[in-house]
Amino acid sequence: MSEKTGETLLEVKNLRTSFQTDAGIVQSVRGISFHANRGESLGIVGESGCGKSVSMLSIMRLLADNAHLKADKILFNGEDLLHKTAKEMRSIQGNRIGMIFQDPMTSLNPLFTVEEQLCNPLMRHLKLSKKEAKARALKMLEDVGIPSPEKRLSQFPHELSGGMRQRVMIAIAMCCQPELLIADEPTTALDVTIQAQILDLMAHMKQEYGTSVILITHDLGVIASICTRVLVMYSGLVMEEGSIEDIFYRTGHPYTAGLLASIPKETKEKLIPIYGTPPDLLNPPKGCPFTARCPHAMEVCRQYQPPLVPLGEHHSSACWLHHKSVKAKIGEVKL
Amino acid sequence: MTTSMTEHATANMSVTEKTCIEAQDLKIHFKLKSGFFSKPRYLKAVDGVSFSITQGKTMGLVGESGCGKSTVGRALLRLYDPAGGKILFNGEDITHSSDAQMQPYRKKMQMIFQDPYTSLDPRKNIRDIIAEPMWALRLYEGKEREDRIRELIEMVGLKPDHLNRYPHEFSGGQRQRIGIARALAAEPEFIVCDEPISALDVSIQAQVINILEELQENFHFTYLFISHDLSMVRHISSEVGVMYLGNLVEYAQVDELYDNMMHPYTKSLLSAVPVADPIRASKSQRIILQGDVPSPIDPPSGCPFRTRCAYAKDICAKEKPLLQNINDKHKVACHLYK
Repeated sequence: MSEKTGETLLEVKNLRTSFQTDAGIVQSVRGISFHANRGESLGIVGESGCGKSVSMLSIMRLLADNAHLKADKILFNGEDLLHKTAKEMRSIQGNRIGMIFQDPMTSLNPLFTVEEQLCNPLMRHLKLSKKEAKARALKMLEDVGIPSPEKRLSQFPHELSGGMRQRVMIAIAMCCQPELLIADEPTTALDVTIQAQILDLMAHMKQEYGTSVILITHDLGVIASICTRVLVMYSGLVMEEGSIEDIFYRTGHPYTAGLLASIPKETKEKLIPIYGTPPDLLNPPKGCPFTARCPHAMEVCRQYQPPLVPLGEHHSSACWLHHKSVKAKIGEVKL
Repeated sequence: MTTSMTEHATANMSVTEKTCIEAQDLKIHFKLKSGFFSKPRYLKAVDGVSFSITQGKTMGLVGESGCGKSTVGRALLRLYDPAGGKILFNGEDITHSSDAQMQPYRKKMQMIFQDPYTSLDPRKNIRDIIAEPMWALRLYEGKEREDRIRELIEMVGLKPDHLNRYPHEFSGGQRQRIGIARALAAEPEFIVCDEPISALDVSIQAQVINILEELQENFHFTYLFISHDLSMVRHISSEVGVMYLGNLVEYAQVDELYDNMMHPYTKSLLSAVPVADPIRASKSQRIILQGDVPSPIDPPSGCPFRTRCAYAKDICAKEKPLLQNINDKHKVACHLYK
């Protein structure tokens, strides 16, 4: 671990990403601010379409041509990423920020061997010779727990199982020893036993290289087992932010509370679902996006978007229930 | 509710504790491509699985991908021809029934599919999708059919004016409800739910599970719930079977299985499930299995799990352990328990 643990590594302020489509402008991310510290693992949870992947792709500048990105600032290690050219970004992508994509079946190139895909970033970013790169690639495969790595190097992705491919993805993302690793649903396509292996491996890599991790998932169990801080997103906005204890035991937002209530408990009590579906981002509602599904919705929620209100030292929630004027009127509401 | 459905339900109520469906040493083998003169090779997807489900109950079937759990579900509906063993539905042997002989059983057995995005025909409106089983099985005519369709769509929490719309106009959770309505159209007794929630978001999963539970309470359906979400299986099932490489390695009453698991595979599988509770998550010890599942084309000799088992002994390579009773609620196939 580096001695700079705890320092801010990534700071994002008021990020907005929209996509121009035939149906109109889809506002996928509607103004989110967050930061990630050195050596910590930040979890981002939310439903499909809440903008969690798009916000990460925005930071990496891997968006499609029809995307429009705006932000007050995106600072990585003090450097402004927002105004970098595509060429300058390329020295950061895969080098100082590594990324693991969701589906290992489709994110590896089927036409190149594992060796070519793993040596490419090493030769490009670290300027290693072919021989050095191969030696390093071999060590990386060993580190991620792939048996008989020499044989695997010359194989193509289709010859590997899902768990193996995800390991290769991790090896590629980690080979340049990035300061930040963004893992976008790294285990969603895998079985629980393989998921446990991969999560274990990520925790180990984080320990060994002191990498900061941003983990995107919709599984609160995965969050609970490896993250220290959590960002809850809904409909392109941050709903709640806090340590895992804050999120699980001092829940501050009705949406987070709803997510927790819809997970089955050992006691087998009836599940409490969140009724309805998330709003359409082509035409997002004026007020709080969760209003239509929220059991505590009030008139003010329909009209105005709630600001993030601090609830504790590092804990904040965007909900009118925590606002002074509302509290004065209806008192403290138990979530 | 119309009278037909109520009668149907009460008729079933009086016969509780009756076995709905039973598999006895069920084997499903798929023939692989091989040369003209070479010996035919088989992929043993299911290799001798026995269990029974009591009417009105839910059996959960868990295991990793490729362990044969979906094949078991499909085989029970006779979508595959078994290579061996027996399938009994309400006590009658349907293992080798012809298509014509299966016809009366078809309406009593239905299936809910995994992916709500691909299991509904995009060119049909919702009315036609729900009516399809009625049309195929010659149930209801004219006005009666329309009434029934309206009743079904309300049963799953959608509105009759949704009937003229097409699948692409619905979200994943709503589509899965349409899939459930279609399965109910034939008035089934037994429903195979093949990963019905795995394509859905957490907040939507609970909606679908609640619908399945309410329907079971009202109409006494029997479910085979195939899933890799072990906490949801615990929530909904009364019995659970754990499969590994085409074999049932453990089978028990649900709480007995989760509190007192015996097979080394079950232990590692359950320990791998992430707990949505940071304090408990930090205390729990994961048992991490090494390696991948062996190929079912060339499975290991003896116990299928021995190649990854920490307790494997000599006997495990020689003899395949049989599923045996530990007590009246619990069966396990492992040489450690003899």
